[in-house]
Amino acid sequence: MERILIVEKLKIIISSILKVDNLMMNDTISAKDVEGWDSLSHMVIITEVEKFFKIQFKLKELNKLTNMGNLISLIELKLN
Amino acid sequence: MLFNSAIFLLFFTLFILLYWLVFNKIVKVQNIFLLLASYFFYAWWDVKFLLLLITSSLAYFYLGIYISKTENTKWQKSLLYIGIFQGIGLLLFFKYYNFFILPLLGLFHSLNVNFNFHSLNIILPLGISFYTFKGIGYLVDIYNDKIKPTNDPVIFLTYLSFFPTLLSGPIDSAHSFIPQLEKKRAFDFSQSLDGSMQILWGFFKKLVVADNCAAITNYLFDNYPTLPASSLLLASFLYTIQLYADFSGYSDMAIGFSRLLGFNVTKNFNFPFYAQNIADFWQRWHISLTSWMTEYVFTPLSFTFRRTGKIGVVFAILINFILVGFWHGPNWTYILYGFLHGCYFIPLVMQDRMAKVKLKDRLFPTSIELVKMLGTFSLVMFSLLIFKASSLSQAFSYFSHIISFTVFEIPLVFNIQSTLVVIFFCIIVLLVEWFQRHKDHALQFFPITNKYHFYSRSLLLSFLFWAIILWGASGNKTFMYFQF
Repeated sequence: MERILIVEKLKIIISSILKVDNLMMNDTISAKDVEGWDSLSHMVIITEVEKFFKIQFKLKELNKLTNMGNLISLIELKLN
Repeated sequence: MLFNSAIFLLFFTLFILLYWLVFNKIVKVQNIFLLLASYFFYAWWDVKFLLLLITSSLAYFYLGIYISKTENTKWQKSLLYIGIFQGIGLLLFFKYYNFFILPLLGLFHSLNVNFNFHSLNIILPLGISFYTFKGIGYLVDIYNDKIKPTNDPVIFLTYLSFFPTLLSGPIDSAHSFIPQLEKKRAFDFSQSLDGSMQILWGFFKKLVVADNCAAITNYLFDNYPTLPASSLLLASFLYTIQLYADFSGYSDMAIGFSRLLGFNVTKNFNFPFYAQNIADFWQRWHISLTSWMTEYVFTPLSFTFRRTGKIGVVFAILINFILVGFWHGPNWTYILYGFLHGCYFIPLVMQDRMAKVKLKDRLFPTSIELVKMLGTFSLVMFSLLIFKASSLSQAFSYFSHIISFTVFEIPLVFNIQSTLVVIFFCIIVLLVEWFQRHKDHALQFFPITNKYHFYSRSLLLSFLFWAIILWGASGNKTFMYFQF
């Protein structure tokens, strides 16, 4: 799957979980820049991402994530 | 050497003069001086356990280097576990040995099996709960490739033993603190002035509010069976403010002293009594412990249970908060306190109301905000009755006493005048912190822009100064969180 498609799908998943309308998606934003993205909703997002893309993360991989760009790259890596 | 003692102020004055005037040229020399001063400070309290602090710090330091160097993931994991087990092992031995060993002995005794173990009169090394968490967090972050280990033992040892935060936190993460030790620090007048203001507010909360509240709550809790339920309710209210004023006062001092040395230490409290629900409260109360637990306990647990939906989340929260409670010490009251807070989260999780609540930027709260604040405060106050009790039976006795019609009577106190004065000081704390709730601390002032700000600030500062002189409790009472 192309990166641009991943970003699109990811935007839909995150927006519906956090109930935000205009989510800004770029590589540098992190959880603390998005209202409502806390330790709890983080795991809900991760679970939904795993279900949608049919992939599985390792905790160590998640611990390394610092921004949206990392998350997109990780999904890309898992899919290819 | 308490922060609020003359000997500490003398030590700090001498130290800071040498720190900025003599040892400021080379950062390595300044760090060595800071490390030696931190060990001197610790030895003044607890010379017996200085060696324990040094050896366990060195263990974390070398394990960090080896975890990073080794390519073999299994070996890496083993080294991480060695580090975690040595930290938790020491904590379990010094803090929880009798808690676990006595019931076990009782169980074996009832089965007619007798072992040669016996209870020990163990003294808790000061600060162990705090420096252990720093050390374990450091190793986990290296294992997760979040940070690179430092190769400078002085920097690492200073990180673990930095004297303003050594005994009771805040628990700073390695990735925010170690870089500050690596670079040259310059004296900044405005930072230092702001730090001094924070120290003043800490002194006010500790000496005027917490210690004076303690005199009243001690009397009320000691004599509650002979007093009406309203007295116990008043004690419970004052104890909530006392615990906050004591621990946040200590934290304000620790952060303020650190800023005088050129360090930015993590925030430990963010005006928790204005929290709109219990999740909001825990994002504002003992923040450094909550953040640590979220990162290293809650996240792995919720990751493990992530396929079980909300039940898994609730389970992760309950375990997390039971451990938060147990962290305070080997007593079932702390476990129940933590469990109760975990239960407080259940309705929020079930109704998806966990998201951070923002207070509107108004002079006074709306009626809904006020109701939510009072509700959250009451839940915390209720839980602190368990926290305060020395045993579960005493906690239940408090509750059975408080549920009575005498709760509507005028509370009886030892000295009505001093109680009213203390309540007045509590209100001052709540008001000043409300108006300053968007700042880093209650006495943070931006440059004076008009005469009104100048006069109101001068009035507040002189009031605090005279309150400390006239009402500041004497006798160098220790900080409540030193016991943890």
